[in-house]
Amino acid sequence: MESPAEQDASTDHEQLLPELVAHLRSSRTQLRQEWANRITGASLLSSMTPQEIFSEATSVYDNYVEVLETGSVEALQHYAQNLSERIIPRGVETHEVVGIVLLLRDVLARSLFEKYHSDFALLNRILDAYEPAANRIANTVSVSFVQERERVIRQQQDSIRELSTPVLQVRERLLILPIIGVLDAQRARQLTEQLLSGIRAHRAKVVVVDITGVPDVDVSVANHLVQTVDASRLMGAGVIITGLSSKIAQTLVRIGVDLSKVNTVGDLQGGIEEAERLLGFTVRRAADADRQQE
Amino acid sequence: MGGSEPANGQVHGALQVHGTLVELTPLIRGVIAARMRDPGVVDDLVQETLARVMTTASRLDDGALAPYAVVVARNLVNQQWRTEERARRHAHRFLDPAEPHRPEDDVLRLEENQAVTSALARLSQGERQTLLAHELEGRATAEMAAESGSTTGAVAAQLHRTRAKLRVEYLLALEQSRLPSHRCRPVLLALSGGDRRRQRELDAAGHLLECQFCSQLSGPLLDRLQADNDDEEALLPIQSDKDVVVARQRGREIAAQIGFSPTDLTLIATAISEIARNAVRFADRGQMRIRTIEGSARRGVVIVARDRGPGIPDVQRALEDGYSTYGGMGLGLPGASRLMDELHIVSELGKGTTITMTKWCTDP
Amino acid sequence: MPTGNRSEGEAPISVSILRQGSYLIASVYAALDDDELGRFQRELIRQIMAFRSRGVIIDVAALDVMDSFGSRSLRDLAHMTRLQGAITVIVGIHPDVAFAMVQLGMDLGNVRTELGLEEGLVLLDDLTGGGRLSPVSRSR
Repeated sequence: MESPAEQDASTDHEQLLPELVAHLRSSRTQLRQEWANRITGASLLSSMTPQEIFSEATSVYDNYVEVLETGSVEALQHYAQNLSERIIPRGVETHEVVGIVLLLRDVLARSLFEKYHSDFALLNRILDAYEPAANRIANTVSVSFVQERERVIRQQQDSIRELSTPVLQVRERLLILPIIGVLDAQRARQLTEQLLSGIRAHRAKVVVVDITGVPDVDVSVANHLVQTVDASRLMGAGVIITGLSSKIAQTLVRIGVDLSKVNTVGDLQGGIEEAERLLGFTVRRAADADRQQE
Repeated sequence: MGGSEPANGQVHGALQVHGTLVELTPLIRGVIAARMRDPGVVDDLVQETLARVMTTASRLDDGALAPYAVVVARNLVNQQWRTEERARRHAHRFLDPAEPHRPEDDVLRLEENQAVTSALARLSQGERQTLLAHELEGRATAEMAAESGSTTGAVAAQLHRTRAKLRVEYLLALEQSRLPSHRCRPVLLALSGGDRRRQRELDAAGHLLECQFCSQLSGPLLDRLQADNDDEEALLPIQSDKDVVVARQRGREIAAQIGFSPTDLTLIATAISEIARNAVRFADRGQMRIRTIEGSARRGVVIVARDRGPGIPDVQRALEDGYSTYGGMGLGLPGASRLMDELHIVSELGKGTTITMTKWCTDP
Repeated sequence: MPTGNRSEGEAPISVSILRQGSYLIASVYAALDDDELGRFQRELIRQIMAFRSRGVIIDVAALDVMDSFGSRSLRDLAHMTRLQGAITVIVGIHPDVAFAMVQLGMDLGNVRTELGLEEGLVLLDDLTGGGRLSPVSRSR
């Protein structure tokens, strides 16, 4: 920092920013048009129409000036998030977003230069006040975009997960839940919710959870499995777990899961047979009872 | 990535805030005890300060917690003095129940009107128009966006900013005073907008301690901030089993507004039920504040339950399974902490307990 | 047929008790507080004794929250009816509620649970030997 003292610099910025803001407000029409032109010229946002680009450019411009004026980026953050939500599905890339914000920074810097170039000292002070704010804005927009992109990716992962854990109805009152792949806490939770609502929707009495395709579980996932069994039981459905590898069995025992409370059968085929035995048992008893009435 | 934390980092964060608050308690007590004589009032104000600091903690930079606590404590003491003074002055009025009209009410109302008018005048014309169209004419942001060739997000963002600014200007007009330094306005705006990064940049915490003026305004500013969205906040008395049921229904409604899944809503309602029942059982009465919070990267619901019961002798043990003092299953606190993402307890024996719990919305 | 589950001078509580053969079906409409719960327990025990009921179904499908107090009360109630010779089955626990209950760390002990009323009746028939339709078929 070249200025004599930090205190002076911040006082200087306080005084200069309003002037800066006034300039950007009065040149609004011309500057945002120039910016939009440069965006098109640089082939950025190619998936959007010129009208769309101009409309977004207007909003970003106004937000930009607001941030300079108020010093608060929270509002810009909201807008950037909203913008990202709309443009990500259209295939806009991170470098494009960073690109357009940097273009705006340059368009504005150039206009400041034109206005103040006769007074070099003043120009320097103006740019000193402008630059940190402009960089912060560029940073805010980029970060919002990247965060939104990450969220979209997570969402896509979620829907893939949903597809990969189907709840299958094999016969009346019997569901099968084959789990394939690594179970993390989030997926385990989702699985439980699917299973429990599946029990209700299909009025299931017995559920076979096949974990042959699960390489390993950690303590929290193991606990989750046990909770799933308990929750299913509260809804009146028995759970049979099949395909329990010795490795997972050891984990369960080590963390103190009482395996005698969990119905485990070697493989899926055996699990289904056991389930049918349980269901048939109920059916036969009811039939007996009916016969007795006659 | 700025702002977003891994899920398992939350527990750590919770313990940290809890730790800080525990450390803050003697400091707060010191500030208040130096100014108030009645030990009962001191206790009340300590609890009140803790509760306010807790509910605001998420909006403040960590380094600002201690200074903010000191400021809150001082403000509460001042408020208490004023209340006592007013009570003394108006003591005779209680003998005259048939006094329907007090001239000073009119003056107050007039002052308030003037404050609003002059605050509105400090806004730019665009800001004023947008705000009035939205707040008074009830126009939807989408509609306004379409008209001005802007986007819904941009309009909402502008409204947020304008409200933050209006709050500051209103308070300034009400106090009818000029800002003592050029640093005050940006600090107040950063506090009003809940912009933590800006607060850090401006060293808002340091400024609050130095500047008597801003420290006085910070209270109403931050309180107002929480009351900003009326339907997203509730303050409920917890005295009977009926209140328990009401509290969990309100909690469910408030949490539903920010998009929690049905399963999460049930977890939240169950946790509220556990905590509220504890308050009814142990303390006869208490109160619960339920509100939503919005961080830069996530949204959540915060529940603060306060009671003036006997307090919890061993907070750490109370969070272990099977610890219970009333022959129940001992699931209340540990159970609730499993249902929520964060839970911290501040308890003083014989004085009361404040429990703050938070759940974050996993898919914003 | 609905049986009056309110005594003189008391406010109505959010439970209805219906008699079906030798079973009682109690539907809980809203969360009960301590006082209501006590009256519900007394009324249920009274009817079990009066009608020599052998099975009780408690339908909690209308409850959207079951905290530890609620679960404990249900468990106690089931144990009490057992002492009077009636088996209690709890039906209608919502999926979200079941999930919250296990997250909270609660269980209903060895109290039987079923998905719905129909399943509950089948289970009671099974456990009591078809008591619903012919109370004397116990010796099967």
